This record gives sequence, structure tokens and C-alpha cells, in this order.
Amino acid sequence: MTKPILRLLFVLLICLITNVQAQDNKLVFSPHWMPQAQFAGYYIALDQGFYKEAGLDVEIIHPNASVNALNFLKEGKADIISLFLVTGLHAALNEVDLVNIAQISQHSAIMFVTKKSSGIDEPDKLRGKRIGVWKSGFKEVPMAMLNERQIDVEWVPILSSVNMFLLGGIDAMTVMWFNEYHQIYLCGIDENELNTFFMSDYGYDIPEDGLYVMRPTFAKRSDDLRAFVEATLRGWQFASENRDYTVNLVVEKMLKANIPTNKAHQQWMLDKVIETQQLNEKNLQAGKLLRSDFDKTLNILRLMEKNNDTIYFGDFYKPVMQPKTNQ
Amino acid sequence: MIKIRRNTLSFRIITRVLLITITLFIIILSVYYYQTRKIIIESTQANAIELAGNITGKIENVLQPIEKVPQMLSTSLEMGVFTRDSLILVLKTILNENPTIFGASIAFEPDYFPDKGRYFMPYVYRHGDTIKEIYLGDENYDYFYMDWYQIPTFFKEASWSEPYFDEGAGNVLMATYAVPFYCKKNRERHFAGIITVDLELEWLSGIVSEVEIYETGYTFLLSANGVAVTHPDKKQIMNKSIYSNAIEWNAPVMREIGRDLSKGVSRFRDYNIPGRQKQWIYYRNLQSNKWSIGVVYPDREIFAPLRNITTLLIVLFIAGLILLIVLTSGIINQLAAPLTLFSRTARTIAEGNFNATIPPVKTNDEMLELHQAFTHMQHQLAEYVENLKETTSAKEKIESELRIAREIQMAMIPHTFPPFPDLPQISLFARLKSAKEVGGDLYDFFILDKYKFCFAIGDVSGKGVPASLFMAVTRTLLRSISDKEKLASTIVGNLNKSLAFNNESNMFVTFFLGILDLETGWLHYSNAGHNPPVLISHEGKATMFETANAIPLGLFDDFNYTESKIRLSRGDMIFAYTDGVTEAENEKSELFGEEQMLRVLKNVDQPEPGILIEKMGAAIEEHVKGFLQSDDITMMTIKFNA
Repeated sequence: MTKPILRLLFVLLICLITNVQAQDNKLVFSPHWMPQAQFAGYYIALDQGFYKEAGLDVEIIHPNASVNALNFLKEGKADIISLFLVTGLHAALNEVDLVNIAQISQHSAIMFVTKKSSGIDEPDKLRGKRIGVWKSGFKEVPMAMLNERQIDVEWVPILSSVNMFLLGGIDAMTVMWFNEYHQIYLCGIDENELNTFFMSDYGYDIPEDGLYVMRPTFAKRSDDLRAFVEATLRGWQFASENRDYTVNLVVEKMLKANIPTNKAHQQWMLDKVIETQQLNEKNLQAGKLLRSDFDKTLNILRLMEKNNDTIYFGDFYKPVMQPKTNQ
Repeated sequence: MIKIRRNTLSFRIITRVLLITITLFIIILSVYYYQTRKIIIESTQANAIELAGNITGKIENVLQPIEKVPQMLSTSLEMGVFTRDSLILVLKTILNENPTIFGASIAFEPDYFPDKGRYFMPYVYRHGDTIKEIYLGDENYDYFYMDWYQIPTFFKEASWSEPYFDEGAGNVLMATYAVPFYCKKNRERHFAGIITVDLELEWLSGIVSEVEIYETGYTFLLSANGVAVTHPDKKQIMNKSIYSNAIEWNAPVMREIGRDLSKGVSRFRDYNIPGRQKQWIYYRNLQSNKWSIGVVYPDREIFAPLRNITTLLIVLFIAGLILLIVLTSGIINQLAAPLTLFSRTARTIAEGNFNATIPPVKTNDEMLELHQAFTHMQHQLAEYVENLKETTSAKEKIESELRIAREIQMAMIPHTFPPFPDLPQISLFARLKSAKEVGGDLYDFFILDKYKFCFAIGDVSGKGVPASLFMAVTRTLLRSISDKEKLASTIVGNLNKSLAFNNESNMFVTFFLGILDLETGWLHYSNAGHNPPVLISHEGKATMFETANAIPLGLFDDFNYTESKIRLSRGDMIFAYTDGVTEAENEKSELFGEEQMLRVLKNVDQPEPGILIEKMGAAIEEHVKGFLQSDDITMMTIKFNA
């Protein structure tokens, strides 16, 4: 072979290797809902190039009305997704071979809200009332909380709006502190006109958003996943320190996706989501899932499903980040 | 620079008039401004209400016929007019006949038709110029939980949905009117589902934004939840609500307005958003749904005409003010011009020219009065000065007569010194210094017989001509009595009797009389209330004569005057004086006094009568320091040389 041909082959080989490498570092991430400030940390990590700096080529896709994030994961359309801990554990118990690689949220944001005019000012008064709950899920914790108190209610599935609650079609509504609660406020109901019941105040401070991958992905790409989690936490850190910038980024992203929104709401959401990530005496390490939270969630699901299905903590939780020795 | 003379009449009048004028103008302008402002607000409010009413009317004109369509369909469905398979056709007919309707559906309750499964929802919609049909409902389109289905189903009443972007129709802003319907099954009326009509909302923004309100005023439409349905700022539509703006603009007032609307309250009010200009807004609900309309008027623009006319008024006023100042000062100067002439004339008159011409005045006003007053004054002055001349000449005449009287008076008392060159036993000096032209003091001395030397000193009560006349009488009587009597006490007693006789004016005279025996040196003396003379011994000791207390002459005719005697040695001196000496006053009302007098008498180096009197006179002068002399000063010194 002549030298020029050798050179050409060499160049081709280099290109091939580089390409393969790039292919290997590609990660598709899907949060479990449409774009909003709840996922600001991911958008920031992408926007600020934290993923790129970590050697990752991250693409963020979003679920829609017909496909949820878990489907993306199962079908291989996403390498990594975010799910509530209950949803993730529920999936694991239902034989979806996924693992939790990092627990981003540390606290519960789920709550009941009632109008003061309804007179419902304690959970007991919810007995026999119509309570709105998302049709798409997340009702396990509120249900467990009421079950524990043997309060029977009529659960009314709601798609996503707060209009049934506003119009009085339901007596109480299950809401997220960072989202629907503020939507109600943004429809003209003052905070002093509402009673709130935070799950966390009733012994159900179950952490929510966590990151999940299929077990084989974890086995094969733990380095990439660690890089992803670290860059994501960096993204959250940046978002926490640059909230105006972050809110603008989120709002821009939502408007591009034709999702009506405004800064006021996204600002609220960002602030409250960051609050749910705050570490405290309960948990001192970002991204860590506590055994106690796992056990409590497992217990809720068993009671809900009325079975004794189980999964080992060590099998479910595969932290990609090394625990910090000094903590 | 023009120097303003502040002390002129025109300056004072103009400043006062200006102050009043400006105050009045400010009051009038304020009243005008606030009244007009009120009227503008009222008319803006009326305009806003009418405008909002018009827009509402136009919207209702579209909405209400649309609302009737599903309502009629619901009645027909309940009556069982249509078969299940004809529903698509019915819906297509509805779209054909109602060009404003974008889509329509009949959504049945779950498992209504067992053979159709859980979902049955025929839906027709426009696609370009054609009308398409589709059966909706599956796991991903679980319509039972959608607001448009869930809410009217629960409340069993028709309602408008919140506006939404319809992705299927190409992200067009839509709202759905949903009506519950019933069917009879086994002769019982069952709730069967929801009929919907979808309405594109593009036309709304046409109706709402075609209105022009000044330059930057606008109208907007909000959904029941306060979300912008139409707004001049397209970014607001569907994204922002009046409540999110309240947060983003830091304007709680927006939330207040939103809550007003949610309660169906309509209002016209002003509001401020930080960093923006003040605005006025009228807001009210629509009738068909709980949507609401707002009409916004920029404060700056609605009050622009008022601001302009106010500015114009102020400019005109200032111009008028300047004109007023110029004209008024001209008029005042013209009117006050005679005053300057009058003042000049007054000065001329003051200088003594009583015939100066009084400036002529043609006007029949205060100036004329001034002119008359001046003329009167001129005449009065001339008259007065004439009188003054006469009085002065009369006074001069009296003064000259008094001068003569003094000369006569002075001529009556001896004034040649030394008086007795042929009598070496005594040397004598006397001086009478009158306080006025004629005085009441007297002294006299004469030889009684060969060896008897008589001397006397006296002081008549009062001053002036009466005193001098009384003194002249006293002196004359003294001489005539002493022609016959040789005893001091007798002379004094007789003198008293003569003076007291017919003394209607109750005048009196203090009197000291001494008779010195030139051979023996015995001095017999009698004192009628006069200051006791001082005896200056040849050794230089000065002592007051001891005298009996006796009343002055002329008071009681039968008073018994006694006499005393003392023997003088060679070189002894008698210093007789009147109270003008001891009571000489300086301007501090300090009297010369006996002590000082005695000190002077003791300290005379060359004890000769003339020198002693000179020294005493000098001492008194030094004491009074030119202060006006109030009493006659009389001194007499006799030195015994035998």
C-alpha cells in the first residue's frame, strides 16, 4: 500500500474511533413531566455546558400525554429518567429492571389543600369528602397517609388543572407545594383563604425526584452516569445561585414548547423545588437515598397493593457517586 | 441690570397687588384644574363603561347564538330524534350552518354503548376548507377527566372552559362550550354525556383590539382564572394572568382587580405599577361566562388637554402679570408724580420761601385735597411766622427792659471797690451774679457814723422781676431805717415791720445785717433766716457764725429779732453769701455745699477779699461745669484790718 492510502486509512480509523467514542458518551435523559422549573438543574447543566465538560453528550427529551418517562426508559428511548421515589419503586416491584442511581429530592412536596370556607381544617374532616388526585399517579403517599388514619374519602381523578377545585367540584385537592398550590394562588385565591396539609407534617416526608436507569445501563456506563449525576448536581447548584437566569431559561424553553407559563409561577416552582433538595440533619449527602425513606416507601406500596412484594435496598439503590467519607 | 427701588410707592402697591393677584390666580386655577379633572374622570368613566359595554355586546352577539346550538342539540338528543350513526352528520350540519364554530362533539359517558367500548365521542372539526370527522377517546385521550367534561358533568350545567391552545388545530386559541345532555333509557332520564362546541378565539382579539384609546390605551380580555385571552402584548396571551403580573410587576393592585372580577365586581379606578405611568381602568365581567374585560386609559393621555390648557393659562397669566406690572407702575408713577413736586415744594417752604408755588393739580381726587392742604399749610405757616416775628420783637423788648432793670438793680447796690479808700480798718469785696436778668439777692454796706460800719446781705424769695423789686424795696428801706436806728436788731426789726406791711404777695427776704465797730472790732449782727456767714480768723480757721433762729423778713410784722456780737481781731475776715453758693448745682444735681465752701475758704493763700471771692467763684465754676445757674450767687467778704 502506498503512503497516501495508509494515511487515509489512518485518518478514517481515527474518525471511526472518535465517532464510536462520541456515540458511547451520548445520554438521553427524560424528566418525568413536561418542561418546567422542577427540572431546572438539568436544563442549566446542559445550557452551561456542565454535561459537555463532564465528557457527556446529553439530550433531554420530554414525555407527553401518550408516553410517559418510564415508557421511554423501558423502550430504550431514554437512558436515564427522573421519577418520584414511589413511582420508581413501584416500577421496580412490578418487574421493571431499573435502579435508582441518585435521589435528587430529599423531601416531600405533596400536600392537601382545602378552602377555609369548606371548614376542613384537619385531616379528620376530610372523611367522606371528594379529594382530587392526579390521574397519572403520585397518589400513593396521600392515600397511605389517609389510610393510616382510617379516613375514607372519595378520590376524584384529575388530569392536571385546578379548575375543579376552584369551582368547588371537589372539597380538597392533592397538590404539589411547588406547582398546583401556586397555580391556585395564581387564580386569585389568597393563601389565607386556604388550609394546607403537608404530607411531611404527618410522617410522610417521602423524597420525590430521583434518577433511574435500567440495570444493564448501570452495569455498563456507571462512569457516564456518575458524570451525569455530578454535572446535574452542579446544574442545580448553579440554578440555586442564579435563579433569575434559571427562571428565564425555563420560561423560554416552555414557551418554545408551546406550554403557557409565566415567570411568577416558575420562580415559585424553582424556589420550592430547591427547598425540597435541601439537606438537613436527616440527610447530609446530596444524591443519597436513605434506607429509612426506602423502607417507608416500600411499606406504603405494600399496603397499597395489599401484598408483601419486596426488593432489597441494595438492589434498588445503586449510587453512582462515592459516599463522602467525611460525612 | 435694572435696579428695583424698594421704597417707592409703586413698588409697594405693585408687590401687594401682585401678591393678591397671584394668590387669586392660584386659587382659581386650582379650582378650575380639579373641577375639570373631575369632569374628565367622570367622562372617561362614562366612555369606558360605554366602550366595555359595546365590546361585551359584540362578544355576546357571537357567544350567545353559539351557546344555543349545543343546547338545542341536547334537547333533540334527549327526545331521541337522532340515531347513533347519524350523530356525525348532525355535527357536520352544525359546523356547516355555524361558520364561527370550529369543532363540535358529543362525548358519551363511559361504556354508554357496550359495543363501542368505554369511549364514544364523535367529533367533527374544520381542516382548511373541509370538515373532518373522528371518533375520539382512548387511554391517552381519557376525556372523562378533562375539565370540559368533568366540570359540567359534576355541576350538571353548561359552562365555558378556560381558553386553551389546540395543538390539533395548529395551536389556535380556543375555548369550549360544554353542555350536559340526557337520554331516556328504560323510560328513565339518565345523564348521558357532554356536547361541546369549540370556538376559535381569534375574532375576539379583533373585536377587543380594534378599539383605539388615545395613543397607548388598550383593552384586554381575561379568562375566569384571570389569564389574558386578548392583550396588545401577544406574549401575555395565555401565559400571564392578572395574578402572575401582580407578582412580576410587584403590583398588588393587579391582584385586587383580579379578585374584584372573580367576585363579579365592576369598577373604574386608577392604579400604579412600579416603574410605569399611572393608568385608569374600567373592568367588568361578561354575561355568558366569567370572563372579563378591562379598558385601560393612560393617565398622562387623558389629562393631556387639561395639562396643555393649564400650561397655556399659566403662560398667559405670567404675560398678563408682566403687562400689569408695567402698566400699573406707569399709572402709579403718573398719579404719584405731583407727590414728588409737593415734596420739593415742601422742602422749599421749609427753607423759608413761603411764597413757593404749590404744584397745580388738575385731577379732582386726593391730590387735589393734598394741593388744598398744602395751600392751607402755606398760608398758616406764613401767618404763624408773622405772629412769631411779632412775639419775638415783643420778647426782645421785654428782654431789653429787663436788662435795663438789672442795670438799675445793679446800680442800687454798691459796686465800686474798694469802697472806702479812706477807711484802712476794713477792706471789702462783693459780687452779685444773677441767675436771670434780674435777681432777688442783695448786699449793701455803708458807714453808719464815724466808727460804725454796717453791712447786709439778703436773698428774696422767688426770682425775677418781683424778687428784684422786693429787693429794691428792702435795700431802700434798709438805707432809710439805718438813717435813724443804729442797732442791728432794731434795724432788722424795723425792716421786717416795713416789709411785712401790705405784703400781699407774701414775699420774704432772708437777711443778715452786721454792724462793725471799727475801733473796737465788736461786730453786732442780727440774722433773719439767712445763711450764717463764715468767720475766717486771722489764723486761717473758718467757722460759721452762730446765729439765733429767726424767720426771714416780711412774714410777721411783730417778730422780735435779736442780735449777737463777736469781737473781731486784726486780720479776721467775714465771708457772707447767699444760698446760691452752697446750692450751686452741677448736671448730676450735686450741690456745691458748705463743706466745699469752707474748704475753699480755709485754703486761700493770700486772704484778701477780692482774691477770696475770685477763688470761690472759680471753685463754684469748676463744680457746676457750665451747668445752668438756677439761683443768684452773691458773696461779700469783709476783712478787719484795725
